[in-house]
Amino acid sequence: MLRSKRSEYFTAAVLMAPFIVIYGVLFVYPTIKMVEQSLTNAPLIGAGKWVGFDNYLRLASDRLFSVAIWNTLYFVVLSVIPSTLLALAVALGVNRLKGWLQSVVLAAFFLPYILPVSVVFRIWSWIFDKDFGVAQYLIAPLNGGHSLSIFRTIPLFMPAVAFVTVWWLLGFNVLLFIAGLRNISSEIYEAAGLDGASRLTQFRRITWPLIWPVTVLVFTIQLILQLKIFDQVYLFAQGGRVDATMVMVQYIYKQAFQMNKGGLADAAAVVLFALIVVVSVLQFQLLRARGAR
Amino acid sequence: MIRKIFYAILASAALTASAARAEETIVWWDFLSGGDGVRMKAMLDQFNKEHAGKVKIDATTLEWGVPFYTKVQTSTAIGQGPDVMTYHESRMPLGISSGVLSVLKPDELAAAGIKASDFGPANWKAAQGPDGKQYGVPLDIHSIILYYNKDMLKKAGLLGEDGKPKGLDGAANFDAALAKLTTKDHSGLSVPNDGATGWRIFYTLLNQQDGQFLKDGKFLPGDNLAKATTALAEMQKWIKSGWAPANTEYPASIALFTSGKAAMHINGVWEVPTMVDLAKKGKLFDWGAIQIPTFYAHPATWADSHSFAIPDRKGNPVPPAKRKLVLDTIHWFNVHSIEWAGGGHIPAYLPVQESAAFKALKPNSDYASLAKTAVFDPVSVLAGVASPVYDAAGNYIIPAMMGDMAPADAAKKMRDDLDSQAK
Repeated sequence: MLRSKRSEYFTAAVLMAPFIVIYGVLFVYPTIKMVEQSLTNAPLIGAGKWVGFDNYLRLASDRLFSVAIWNTLYFVVLSVIPSTLLALAVALGVNRLKGWLQSVVLAAFFLPYILPVSVVFRIWSWIFDKDFGVAQYLIAPLNGGHSLSIFRTIPLFMPAVAFVTVWWLLGFNVLLFIAGLRNISSEIYEAAGLDGASRLTQFRRITWPLIWPVTVLVFTIQLILQLKIFDQVYLFAQGGRVDATMVMVQYIYKQAFQMNKGGLADAAAVVLFALIVVVSVLQFQLLRARGAR
Repeated sequence: MIRKIFYAILASAALTASAARAEETIVWWDFLSGGDGVRMKAMLDQFNKEHAGKVKIDATTLEWGVPFYTKVQTSTAIGQGPDVMTYHESRMPLGISSGVLSVLKPDELAAAGIKASDFGPANWKAAQGPDGKQYGVPLDIHSIILYYNKDMLKKAGLLGEDGKPKGLDGAANFDAALAKLTTKDHSGLSVPNDGATGWRIFYTLLNQQDGQFLKDGKFLPGDNLAKATTALAEMQKWIKSGWAPANTEYPASIALFTSGKAAMHINGVWEVPTMVDLAKKGKLFDWGAIQIPTFYAHPATWADSHSFAIPDRKGNPVPPAKRKLVLDTIHWFNVHSIEWAGGGHIPAYLPVQESAAFKALKPNSDYASLAKTAVFDPVSVLAGVASPVYDAAGNYIIPAMMGDMAPADAAKKMRDDLDSQAK
């Protein structure tokens, strides 16, 4: 029995309407407003006067904003690549385990992921604490016997926060990789084994190409997530040299909520939005092209 | 049977409804979640008990700092929000300029029995806008103080007959005392490494030299820069000389003092309950707290004040009858602020501050003298709690103190940064 096209369109429209309405009201409309308001001198609340591209010019000349961009990109490099590679390595290891042992190990890696960021912050700020932290037993010998305040030593700040972030979010990436690895049929490995392929060859010729789509996915998710980094950097820098470790979302937060400059914050948000779109599209295309080779 | 229950429910519902109508509810927001928050909760309970059937305060405690002030700003803009809220006096310039606070008219205040003469002049004035109108009623004065370990000071010969430290006044004497108090087992001083604490110490030392942080819209103009440098150099000396450990996190700095690894500790009065509670459990040595010593020309201490304010809810203002009730309530809290003093704070309300009950409260009355020479934050939208000035303290004062920046360089950079933000 053939159904008329019209009724199919109708069903589709009805099913999609709730999503489209919510998406429109909560995402598209605010985004348009954001772009519009970035061209005004609006405070955090209420309308402002049209100022053209003044806010963008101000951003371009603001040293703090360029610091924020560089810190964000630096953090992305420090967190995205290690967390992807490490997750793959862990997944390969976990995948070899069998039965309940595998579940326990997997759960252990996943556990940090369910913690809220405030708890993660508390745990690691005490572990690294200059006066009472357990990590100082490892750090002090490397620092000539003196304990060192990790989060107040500016060159160490981003790497340390990236380390904590990788620890925190690794479990989720491992889970994605495990799902990917389980999708690879064991028959392929058996065939390769019969042909005398070594484990390394099996990884290079079978696992790596077949897991590539998942790798791209993990990489992209991480990239977008870490470009929006805020919580950890904000918490660990509190009361310290916040300007030296400023990231983009933090800059937006500062302008909007602390300085009451809505228009300027909007402009910074538009720049971040554009940056995320450009970087993630580029990255996705680049990696996909490589995978299709 | 079922019908009976039904009627019973109906009757009780009607009763509660009529009781609720007779009882006025005041919606209250505060940011007091520390040791002092516990005391505020006790006061709220007492108020509700005393006014049962007439007034009930429905209180909510929100996150301190920027989150609190953001929520207040966003909710008042759409006519929502509380009937009364706590507000830092230092934050009032920004609150007034963003239209969050409602003016308290002189006749309203008088009707509730709130008089300017019942408060310290600087304290009362800090709740006024540039228009000279009143926007808040102070509840307390809170500041930084010097906590000390009596046993260690005694051993170093720095304790007077009255159990208070002696010979700490004057920068050179204070330094000498720190040197004496620093031994192999403990340091002379511990200080938290956060910008807020840095700012409070710095502002204290600056004002003791008659320095002005902000004058006619300019930050650290003229010779104030040199005075700022002097203050930073003094703070740096404590760390560089090894008299105080560098970069101690806030909780760790308290632990260093309470565990006997530091002879003295500079922190806010709000940590007094921490010490009192530890001492009560017998887990603390003989301790005391005094006003920050006079390093330079004359005594002066940074201070801020928790005050009460009525939000300016757009399109849905607090009705006049409710305003009267709110102001009466504010006055009640001031009259009963001896309880609040247990949180370490100095009551703003002079009849309580000068009462025998407060004089008997130790150690509060040992440092209450600081209220007379208290200096409040500069009046600017860039200053106050969780403001750009506080951030600047983290960016320049703390690095200078820890020796990562030269004092003169830090002072200059801080001035330039804040001047550029003022544009």
